[in-house]
Amino acid sequence: MRKRVLFAAIFVLGLFGSAAADETCQSPFLPKVTGQEDYLYVWTLGVKGVGDGNDSIVTVDANPKSAGYGKIIHRAPVPGRHEAHHAGFTDDRRFLWAGGLDTSQIFVFDVGTDPAKPRLVKTISTFVKDTGGMVGPHTFYALPGRMLISALSNAQDGSGRTGLAEYGNNGKFIRAIWMPKEAPYGYDVRVNVNLNRMLTSSFAGKKNYMRPFGELIKDGEAMKNFGDSVIVWDFHARKPLQVLRVPGAPLELRWALLPNHNYAFTATALTGQLVLIYQQEDGTWATKNIAEIGANIPVDISIAPDDSKIYVNSFGDGTLRVYDVTNPFEGKLIEQVKLGEMANMVSSSWDGKRLYATNSLLSQWDKPGDYWLKAYNWEGGKLVAKFTTDFNAVGRAHIMNLNSKAFGPRAARTAPGDRRLSAHAAPR
Amino acid sequence: MLRRAKLALALLVGLAAAPGAAAAHEALSLEDEFVKGVFSPKFVPPVPGSYELPAVKRVAGFVLRDSTGRAVNTREITAGKVAVVSFIYTACPERLGCPLASVALQDLQGRLKDEGLHRDVVLLSISFDPGRDNPARLAKYARVYGADLAFWRFMTAPSSRVLEDVLEGYGQDRAPVYDSRGRFTGRYSHVLKVFLVDREGDIRNIYSAGFLVPDLVVNDIKTVLAGPARR
Repeated sequence: MRKRVLFAAIFVLGLFGSAAADETCQSPFLPKVTGQEDYLYVWTLGVKGVGDGNDSIVTVDANPKSAGYGKIIHRAPVPGRHEAHHAGFTDDRRFLWAGGLDTSQIFVFDVGTDPAKPRLVKTISTFVKDTGGMVGPHTFYALPGRMLISALSNAQDGSGRTGLAEYGNNGKFIRAIWMPKEAPYGYDVRVNVNLNRMLTSSFAGKKNYMRPFGELIKDGEAMKNFGDSVIVWDFHARKPLQVLRVPGAPLELRWALLPNHNYAFTATALTGQLVLIYQQEDGTWATKNIAEIGANIPVDISIAPDDSKIYVNSFGDGTLRVYDVTNPFEGKLIEQVKLGEMANMVSSSWDGKRLYATNSLLSQWDKPGDYWLKAYNWEGGKLVAKFTTDFNAVGRAHIMNLNSKAFGPRAARTAPGDRRLSAHAAPR
Repeated sequence: MLRRAKLALALLVGLAAAPGAAAAHEALSLEDEFVKGVFSPKFVPPVPGSYELPAVKRVAGFVLRDSTGRAVNTREITAGKVAVVSFIYTACPERLGCPLASVALQDLQGRLKDEGLHRDVVLLSISFDPGRDNPARLAKYARVYGADLAFWRFMTAPSSRVLEDVLEGYGQDRAPVYDSRGRFTGRYSHVLKVFLVDREGDIRNIYSAGFLVPDLVVNDIKTVLAGPARR
């Protein structure tokens, strides 16, 4: 019954049908969870010898009023290990697409029928063939009726030359767009609909990201093969407009959310800079290093909903840093929390009151140790620890996607792979 | 310019009238800011034909009833034309949902006529609510939005089953909304989507609230009229 109240409440607020996101980094084409989230879906690396050893979507209960608060309440494994990394919702939040950076397989989970229990309904095994050789599907970004996917590498030489791919929500391949020659790398992709601008960032190819980290950093030649660019695109035309040089592997991109805030942020993993990407008066784009994060491998960032803060998680020293970016041209470090030996993803709730973090980066790069998800709340101007979810029995926690009971159960009538033909459909 | 102003005004009125809840006041005001941002396109859409709109999926024709009560196959209506298809229901209370889609189609109707494209294009509004939206109700709704019925057609499904097939065909979600006692409120939740369908029946673009910009839709229509999707 409560489910329905929540459901009604969210829709009464007129949020469905509006362009929105739950986590502040989600696609503007997604409806969002504006209040308390119920679930965190964690796309979790399988570890040999740990349980069934498979990658899985792990559901953590995130509602403090629930008996299962902070606990793993469900696990949906996929067959095998694929280098589970990122995942994203379709535009109607009924499905969650999750990618494997090693095998380039894409797993589609139904999260609409029972949001507590994601169910694997489709596997796309043709990504490399569909795209003409892209490898490592990374960001899954909802467009209306479609999924935009940024890849990391290619099948030909395992380098960072790669591109973007689009699939229909039904799993049908639509198109592939290779990165321009002068900036071939890929990593994240995010859209600003007001400006019709899309940003892509750059990381490294499979021969780097699947190589043991200790070995990689000693190989001077290999260390040269990291991306150094952010590309500004005409989103609607899907055409690159400008290549911005941002040395040191700029990873996650976060657009500011408020009107007239025509800027975004990224952080460079190898050079430890917090970088502002901003539109200049003449309409072109430029970058500015706004804070020195340090040589601690910043890997993920999250933006506060009012654009006042950027959260940075660093893999190297396991620390969460909070920067005041009220003046986006100057980041001020205002808070630091030591999360553990290493830290990876960080996600803010839409209302900005809660923060979640995980600590696995890549199977070949992780340090030995504990794997967890940690939750913090802003209370009295401080980040207060709320719970730690132990992942050691299920694998290593990477990306988190927030969801609400309000988005289910919903009729999943257009499930990918659903081949039911309409008796009333007339052929065209 | 007048139409654009009208569209903007309708959106602002919609925002001002959007229901709120005290408990969610902070989040809502933020949401308002965000939504205002979304409806402030600050770009000139790319020139028609300078970009590609590959086929997203193919949709079939469906036998529905129009606002005169006649059974019509949508394939007949769209034959040889580019179709702009939206899903609405007349009781929709969400200002940023169905009314927004219909205001946008109203705006498009005028623009396409001004540009002499109305012979090549048809607008189609299909009801989410076949139980209530009978032909008479749709005819009234059409009048409210000043629809030229020769150009902008309103359709309703003969049954929920047919509607489900249509929704599945387009990839449009819809879920009934229930109150705290489990009673149907008469409302449906749905992501606002408007579909651009070419003469071959391929969906070439899908617009949701943030990207339902009439200038952009007109350019897309011109792009699609120039030829079928590359395969």
